[in-house]
Amino acid sequence: MEPSGALSAEALRERLLQGLEAEHVEVEDTTPGRCATSFKVLVVSPRFRGKALLQRHRLVNEILSEELKCIHAFEQRTLTPEQWAKEQEAK
Amino acid sequence: MAAEGGAGTLLEAASSAQFQDLLQRPDRSLVVVHFWAPWAPQCIQMNNVMAELAKEHPQVLFVKLEAEAVPEVSEKYEISSVPTFLFFKNSQKIDRLDGAHAPELTKKVQRHASSLTLSSGSADNEKEDLNSRLKKLINAAPCMLFMKGTPHEPRCGFSRQMVEILNKHNIVFSSFDIFSDEEVRQGLKTYSNWPTYPQLYVTGELIGGLDIVKELEASGELDTVCPKAHKLEDRLKELINKAPVMLFMKGNKQMAKCGFSKQIIEILNNTG
Repeated sequence: MEPSGALSAEALRERLLQGLEAEHVEVEDTTPGRCATSFKVLVVSPRFRGKALLQRHRLVNEILSEELKCIHAFEQRTLTPEQWAKEQEAK
Repeated sequence: MAAEGGAGTLLEAASSAQFQDLLQRPDRSLVVVHFWAPWAPQCIQMNNVMAELAKEHPQVLFVKLEAEAVPEVSEKYEISSVPTFLFFKNSQKIDRLDGAHAPELTKKVQRHASSLTLSSGSADNEKEDLNSRLKKLINAAPCMLFMKGTPHEPRCGFSRQMVEILNKHNIVFSSFDIFSDEEVRQGLKTYSNWPTYPQLYVTGELIGGLDIVKELEASGELDTVCPKAHKLEDRLKELINKAPVMLFMKGNKQMAKCGFSKQIIEILNNTG
């Protein structure tokens, strides 16, 4: 168990999976020394369909609004399942 | 040497004590200090600009301080060249401008002076005022970047990357340093429903943060979204290729403003 209040990549992943009915979530702690204040996330969710990037990022920001208060740097990529599949094929 | 009166206030601080005194004058919450030197012609010019600004902004206190005559103050604020301008609100330094940039100085004075009016009125009014101020700010230029620091001195890696991308694409933008104004920094997050900086706006519309701009760059959309700096050569090229036959003349087809231009129009018209 994490001490309460502390952010972890795993906790963020859970929030995003549940909050956005995400099919795939990757969370990377990009803090030098991994002290959990910088994160990079990839979210694949059907709820992004038909939404512009700005709207997708707003959805993510809303789900993580509490967490973002303690996060110093946050990067995100938001894909629909279709975009994600295409990207996987291209690899 | 005071030029005080209804028209505005430009005072000289000749000692550290005097400077402190001026900063703490209760009737002025914004103080603009010009660190100058009598041997630098740009400074003399900027003193004139200060005098003009003082007339326009009677609620702001303008102070001249000869940098080399009051070294304690100059050193305290790390003044290494003249002219340099510091902005103080309630005795706290809130902004700085290096160099003789009259338009930039005017802009900063306007910006900081306009936020002074927020201190009066009810909470609702204040919110309304802040919102209209934010709206003005995001529309201040066709392309506005709200960032940490300035394009020359970004104070965060994301802001730096944003500036690099915009510059790489020759995008003309104005910027606002959110560190210079806590009210704007917090207010804009709520106003635009966007929790982080940098934020990029085009014609008052939020485009997004660095992640979005990076994706727009990758997809090639960035060039269509943002207004580009037109190089003169490109503009000329575009103009001479605008139509199969282009005439650059004095006046227009209906009303030529010189005999030669008129004759050419006639010749062209006659050849069908």
